[in-house]
Amino acid sequence: MSRKECVAMLLAGGQGSRLGVLTGKLAKPAVPYGGKYRIIDFPLSNCIHSGIDTVGILTQYKPLELNDYIGSGKPWDLDRSNGGVHILPPYQGKKGGDWYKGTANAIYQNLGFIDRYSPEYVIILSGDHIYKMDYSKMITAHKKSGADCTIAVMEVPLDEASRFGIMNATQDGTIYEFEEKPEKPKSNLASMGIYVFSYDKLKKYLTEDNEKEGSSNDFGKDIIPAMLNSGEKLMVYRFSDYWKDVGTVDSLWEANLDLLNPKIHLNLSDPNWKIYSRTSALPPQYISDTAQVENSLITAGCNISGNIDYSILFENVKVEEGATVEYSVVMPGAVIKKGAVVRYAIVAENSLIDENATVGQEPDYKDAQKWGITVIGDGVKVGKNAKIGANKMIKKEVKEGEKI
Amino acid sequence: MMNGKVSGIIFTNSNDSALKEFTSFRSMASLPFGGRYRLIDFTISNFVNAGISNVGVITNQNYSSLLDHLGSGIYWDLDRKNGGLSILPPFISGSKNNVGELDAADRAVEYINRNNSEYVVVCESGTVANIDVKAVLNYHIEKNADITFLYRTSEKTDKFDRTLKLKLDDDGKVIKISDTKQSDEGGKLTMGFSIFTRAAFSELVNMASKVNTKDTFVSVMTKKFSAYNIFGYEHTGFVGVMDSRKAYFETSMELLNGDIREQLFNRKRPVYTKTKDDMPTRYGTHSSVKNSIIADGCIIDGTVKNSILFRGVRVRKGAVVENSILMQGVEIRENTKIKYVASDKNAVIGGKDPIKGTNRKAFIVKKNQTLID
Repeated sequence: MSRKECVAMLLAGGQGSRLGVLTGKLAKPAVPYGGKYRIIDFPLSNCIHSGIDTVGILTQYKPLELNDYIGSGKPWDLDRSNGGVHILPPYQGKKGGDWYKGTANAIYQNLGFIDRYSPEYVIILSGDHIYKMDYSKMITAHKKSGADCTIAVMEVPLDEASRFGIMNATQDGTIYEFEEKPEKPKSNLASMGIYVFSYDKLKKYLTEDNEKEGSSNDFGKDIIPAMLNSGEKLMVYRFSDYWKDVGTVDSLWEANLDLLNPKIHLNLSDPNWKIYSRTSALPPQYISDTAQVENSLITAGCNISGNIDYSILFENVKVEEGATVEYSVVMPGAVIKKGAVVRYAIVAENSLIDENATVGQEPDYKDAQKWGITVIGDGVKVGKNAKIGANKMIKKEVKEGEKI
Repeated sequence: MMNGKVSGIIFTNSNDSALKEFTSFRSMASLPFGGRYRLIDFTISNFVNAGISNVGVITNQNYSSLLDHLGSGIYWDLDRKNGGLSILPPFISGSKNNVGELDAADRAVEYINRNNSEYVVVCESGTVANIDVKAVLNYHIEKNADITFLYRTSEKTDKFDRTLKLKLDDDGKVIKISDTKQSDEGGKLTMGFSIFTRAAFSELVNMASKVNTKDTFVSVMTKKFSAYNIFGYEHTGFVGVMDSRKAYFETSMELLNGDIREQLFNRKRPVYTKTKDDMPTRYGTHSSVKNSIIADGCIIDGTVKNSILFRGVRVRKGAVVENSILMQGVEIRENTKIKYVASDKNAVIGGKDPIKGTNRKAFIVKKNQTLID
């Protein structure tokens, strides 16, 4: 293999348990987003646009659909004879094998993969964020500062900072302390889970960490603190464009509807930074005489005869006459039958909402605590005239007329 | 399945003259159709869906847009080590004939010989249909035919030079072939799709090179057919014949009919095309879209009725688009009203006065034209 300046390692093994039924059959990075994408399209497209053509994808939980989706890496221009995309599941060696114990351990077990390209830098990415970022700028900053590790951060409101890993840094960006979800945050610089390491240092600390008893083998909890303790140079890299962690149902729904908000700047149609995805061979969408469509994103293969407002419809969705879909995300192949009403909901792939059923409910401010987005799991059938309220997670068939 | 034994050949410039409005700078095969396709997508998909992976594309002129569209053949899974997509431009065969029909035929013969194919499926450009090629091939083999013509039954002939009228016996064998230029009375009409055994194809090309008329193919077929075992196979599904501006417009609009879409975009035999990674189409506040086909990447803030919008079309606020075909990247400015317009790629249309064609004659806007009064 010829040398690569930078290799990307994409952590895609997380279960994403907070997404409930949406990750029942697939890993979080394979969750559909934005009408025709999967979450993993974002880091992969960012890589290729940033000039990084060697990407290792670390998979563990429910990898089948993700593996299938990535394939040879063609849609992202990552089918290369030198470099390209590689799926890296846990494997058996001579001394036996093991599941990936933590984010750091996943990379540790694949040092052999990275070594083949003898890179100077390794960028660690995760598969659960929606953002467009030029990693080459971050790598340049890393080179310029002479850091051993550079961590991308963004400013978050101080009252939300306790939900994040917080970097405490000096004026010039040198990190002196890292706090995971601090109760009383000292700064508002949240880690975005994007790290650039000088490879020799990464290898050293991963190897040491692996030998440490009781380590959780995690970048945030173990590697970064160990580097700080040893006096290595860690720098922040500030990012201020759109970035969203889509690890929960609410944030996934929000990130989808953000695409309809003209004030939020996440331009997916920039010809210089397209987000690539694997698409099927489908005819264009058809909007019928009885349809009313506003403030929405709709894609190929859809057949729309109902009323759509503030919604995101994925490929092959069918909405029949007299049905209403509002403030919702409807994933590939779902069918919304006559007279059904879907509001503030995520309807997963290939589900069926039968005639006159009601799914979800608009926000009830009197009882804001209990309100939430309703999720219909993939392949689930909701029977005729069934009523499903707010904040429900539906895993199995709902019978005709049933109320949940 | 029949990999290697069967080659597909596409003549991309046949019938260019029938639709000059859109083919003055592109070949008939790269004519945009159906919101996101080029005519050749249907032909190649027909081949690929039948397991044919040797596809030769004969180009004579104006083929830059076609080459750009085809690339390595990746979108049809035709980027292969063995076979795959081959572009056959002029001057590659060492043929003594000038660039044109005969040289093109020589190139086809050479391609088939190189691939050592037993059968060759020959397609002209200008019609659109979802054809079960496997069924036609099986029929051809079962009948032990030299040539099998796919035909459609129509009350009127079309204006394509090479269309032949067939007369069949009860067994489906062709017992008479006639020229369609003499009368416009319909019947069993060929539709630019035929299967040849290799020997018959080479022989006919050889014979044609000795005939000194402009439409060699038609004259050779009408004169020499009795020497061959020729069969007809009826295509009963939807077929669009783009032999005039009016026909292009009407055929396009037929796609607004769900049954026609089901036939053309048959789920068992999908139609593949180049992917462009456009984002989904965005419908704005106060957008109103009725009975229309919309490709990805459009932004619609106005009204669209009974129309076909290709990728990346922009309909701005207050604009009204009715009964129109807008190809890739067309922009309709604010408050502009258009009806019965067919606009080529990347045109910009604006102005106070409505722009109108009629249902018999669409108003044509040229590629990259800015039409603002």
